[in-house]
Amino acid sequence: MKLASPPGTCAVRLRGCRRSFRTPDGGVYVALDGVDLEVRAGEFVALVGPTGCGKSTLLNLVAGLLQPDAGQVEVFGAPLEGVNRRAAYLFQQDVLLPWKTAEENVMLGLVFRRLPREEARRQARAWLDRVGLRGFENRYPHQLSGGMRKRVALAQNLIVNPEILLMDEPFAALDVQTRQLMENDLLRIWQEERKTVLFVTHDLEEAIALSDRVVVLSAGPAARPVGEFPVDLPRPRDVTEVRLDPAFGELFRRIWELLRGEVLRAFRISA
Amino acid sequence: MPSGFPPDRRWGLRAVQAAVLVAFLASWEAASRLRWLDPFFFSRPSSVAERVARWFATGEVYGHISVTALETLLAFLAGSLLGVVVGFAFAMSPALSRVFDPYVKVANAMPRIVLAPIFTLWFGLGVLSKVAFGVTLVFFVVFFNTYQGVREVDRNVLNNARMLGASDRDLVRHVLLPSALVWILSSLHTSVGLALVGAVVGEYLGSARGLGYLIQQAEALFDTTGVFAGLVVLAGFVLAVDLLVSFVERRLLRWKPPSHVEEVV
Repeated sequence: MKLASPPGTCAVRLRGCRRSFRTPDGGVYVALDGVDLEVRAGEFVALVGPTGCGKSTLLNLVAGLLQPDAGQVEVFGAPLEGVNRRAAYLFQQDVLLPWKTAEENVMLGLVFRRLPREEARRQARAWLDRVGLRGFENRYPHQLSGGMRKRVALAQNLIVNPEILLMDEPFAALDVQTRQLMENDLLRIWQEERKTVLFVTHDLEEAIALSDRVVVLSAGPAARPVGEFPVDLPRPRDVTEVRLDPAFGELFRRIWELLRGEVLRAFRISA
Repeated sequence: MPSGFPPDRRWGLRAVQAAVLVAFLASWEAASRLRWLDPFFFSRPSSVAERVARWFATGEVYGHISVTALETLLAFLAGSLLGVVVGFAFAMSPALSRVFDPYVKVANAMPRIVLAPIFTLWFGLGVLSKVAFGVTLVFFVVFFNTYQGVREVDRNVLNNARMLGASDRDLVRHVLLPSALVWILSSLHTSVGLALVGAVVGEYLGSARGLGYLIQQAEALFDTTGVFAGLVVLAGFVLAVDLLVSFVERRLLRWKPPSHVEEVV
């Protein structure tokens, strides 16, 4: 097992982060405020919270696609400036380029790094193989199913060998069966590569089944982490089987107690 | 294309379409021979066919066709290039687009035909004035599509490319330009058609060669048969160009979902 970075170091650290947005009517909406969060290198952290609580905003701060109004984002101890070059980002939406084949989409990151075409192509094939898409190299995205497109996107992100993998509800649009297959594949690959993962979801079961630690975010505005729960279920895990573990149910009950209050609060704010 | 004819009845459709043409030509021919229509003003299909056949037999029409084809091609290329460059600049620079917005609107709303005399003065009676005229037509179609194409690129797609390590140049080359190209290609029929309109109208208004000139000359001599013969040759030319465009389009848009390609073709 090779480690992406020495264990115990802090891959991501947010300190007192605040981020607000201008609303169309000229007001200011504070999405996040006073966010403190640490993710250790090699750790799989799931971020749950009610809809609209700023989970994606938090991920965008870590990605460097957004800058905090106050506070600081540190990546491996260094303050983050611009786009986070040590992270890859698996988006919720379909972001493959429709005019490129699966293979060309996967090799994109290597092309940007000016690798020779042939080498990029070779690695792209290997990665497509690893995510179970051998034989689909020359298909265009519209010729692939939703689950296959997600696999291509996953390979596209992993090929650049990022130390940190940011995932924003990547499997939300998939049907239950495809989703569980993808989750198991993700766990298998994570087990082999030991990336640091920050995984945003609003599905608490998914969060527990995948992660080492579940962080609960409060309802917005001014959302912040309000609780965290270590998940000490044995690995390697199978996301379907792990749900039958009595410890899983106990953990679910404890986290849900906290999360439910936030969900209800979010519901009342939006209603 | 939705039609009342299912695919297995396509030949039936073709037969009906051909029957309509035959019926039209037959009644025209009959009306002309029976003197219901004055042959001097309306000619007749058999005379027109004879004229077209003679033009091709003597070879005199080829020069005109090639001149019009050259003008169309040059107008299309120059107009597209200009449209892509300016459209890109406007899309990337909000300041630029804000300043020039009223001018673009006025220039686009202006009936371009009034420019033809000016272009004839500036560029003479040759190919260049027709190309310039065609460019003013093609430019705006390509310009607006490029502008739209670049502006409509999904933010997430851009962010994804950025996270994968794309530089600004990579973004242009791998994301923005191809995205604009999709829009430009979807208007390929329109822009090629306008380039052709520019060439023919330009020739009609003042030139010494080309299909527009051929028709204009016949008209000046009250040669109705010549006018119709010119129209027939022009129609054939337009059809050929359109088929070529469809072919190019199918090749370039191979990656598109089939329903979309059908919609465009």
